[in-house]
Amino acid sequence: MLWYKAWLETRWRFFIGLAVLICSAAGAVLTYPKVLSLLPLVPTVDVGGELGRRVREAVELSREYRGYIWLQAFRQNLAQTGTLFAVLLGTGGLVSGTSSLFTLSLPVSRERLVGVRAATGLWEWLLLALVPSLVIPLLSPAIGQHYDVVAALVHGLCLFVAGATFFSLAVLLSTMFADPWRPSLLALFVAIALGVAEQISRVTASHGLFAVMSGEAFFRAGQVPWVGLLLSAAASAAMLYGAAFNLANRDF
Amino acid sequence: MADALAIHADDLRKNYEGTEALRGLTLQVPPGSLFGFLGRNGAGKTTTIKILLGIARATSGRARVLGVAPDGPEAVELRRRLAFVSEDKELYDYMTVEEMIRFTSPFFPKWRTDVEQQYRRQFDLPADRKVKALSRGMRTKLALLLALCRGAELLILDEPTSGLDPAATEEMLQALVGHVAAGETTVFFSSHQIAEVEQIADRVAIIDRGVVVVAGALDDLRESYKRIQLVFDGEAPAVAFRAPGVRRVRRRGRVLTLLASDGADLPLAEARALNPVSVDVLPVSLKDIFLDTVTTED
Repeated sequence: MLWYKAWLETRWRFFIGLAVLICSAAGAVLTYPKVLSLLPLVPTVDVGGELGRRVREAVELSREYRGYIWLQAFRQNLAQTGTLFAVLLGTGGLVSGTSSLFTLSLPVSRERLVGVRAATGLWEWLLLALVPSLVIPLLSPAIGQHYDVVAALVHGLCLFVAGATFFSLAVLLSTMFADPWRPSLLALFVAIALGVAEQISRVTASHGLFAVMSGEAFFRAGQVPWVGLLLSAAASAAMLYGAAFNLANRDF
Repeated sequence: MADALAIHADDLRKNYEGTEALRGLTLQVPPGSLFGFLGRNGAGKTTTIKILLGIARATSGRARVLGVAPDGPEAVELRRRLAFVSEDKELYDYMTVEEMIRFTSPFFPKWRTDVEQQYRRQFDLPADRKVKALSRGMRTKLALLLALCRGAELLILDEPTSGLDPAATEEMLQALVGHVAAGETTVFFSSHQIAEVEQIADRVAIIDRGVVVVAGALDDLRESYKRIQLVFDGEAPAVAFRAPGVRRVRRRGRVLTLLASDGADLPLAEARALNPVSVDVLPVSLKDIFLDTVTTED
């Protein structure tokens, strides 16, 4: 029954997240013809520095459908919006709100409370990562394009495993604060800080968490970023363990 | 002896960031009793209950509930034998009454479906209404139903009638008494409503500032506490009584009133030596005992 409780507590966040991410993925696919028609205008844009480099990179990537999808969907829309929903799925429901004493008086260990809540959230996050990714190959024929299903699955799994780090961080923070707002804001702050760090540092740009999330190594070199995925999974496991430890030792 | 008790707390202390919520609380609740735990707001009642449930840990001291340490390795199994209703009747707002019952029952193998049906009818709970849409009274009834149906050996209730109107309070108290009369359940309930404790409890403990200051069977307390009223010809003398158990002396004009906690005999002998015009020994209520034992200064 704890599964049912966790599902009831997170289902609206899950459904909204699923709808937003599917629309985001579908939007990226359906706007490609428009982007293609605008590409000839881009050489007139003359911007120097890092911004110029990024604009030129975006233009080059967008000349190919595969590059455009990676840039627009996997590196931007799904990674960024997905992070938001991974955090939202990780917050609340554990022992926050007004029902914590009822939950804690049930004959259930606190470790199990965290375990069920985390497993439910991770399962939902897996669907949030995979379903919109699979929408891309399904919808591509509608605009006369093709996108490999296996590639979509690999990117979706990268999104899931690396994004689970933010989910786990939110779960950990939820065991430290009684309200759902501080865990959400802190986890999002960490995500934004990491994102900015990857933007300004060439070292982290290709090895950072968002690079793993977007499956950049797979896109550029056809290599699954196993090291990054393993490190992300280890970080998630450590944070979920920390959450269980925190909750087990916390006074209410 | 300790394991035969439903609750046995020994010298419990609890500090919250420099504040002493419990300061050596000792408490013994015999099985089968309807035990009232009285105290002012902030006296430490809820903290005690949280420690007994394993929701909070004592800074020091020892607690046993049904012979088991509530924060020990058997805590999960212990909670299967307990039922708890919190002061705020905390339930899941997003569930309906039906969902709350269906959610709770699988955790308790001894769930009493017959009792569930009985209280569903008696409390007239709307099965498809969300908990957040229930009135305070309805929410309390649902919380009580969820507690009573567990087949628990010990019911722990924190201010169960808090916020209820007199009719709902009476209904709740009658349900509790009826439930205890029908089985072997021990009920431990906290309250600051003296009248309701006096109405249903057979044993009480009064807690003040984190320590139990009075405990015992209600009848024994009434028997041992007496008010002795002395009337003098002129102004009542200002005397310090040496007899044991004289807890309070009050002078007002010609009248001197003593409150004695160990029977009236010795204080009475000392009082008669003062040559009063009249001497009366009067019974005291739980309210008198409470007001006497709970300090009023903040």
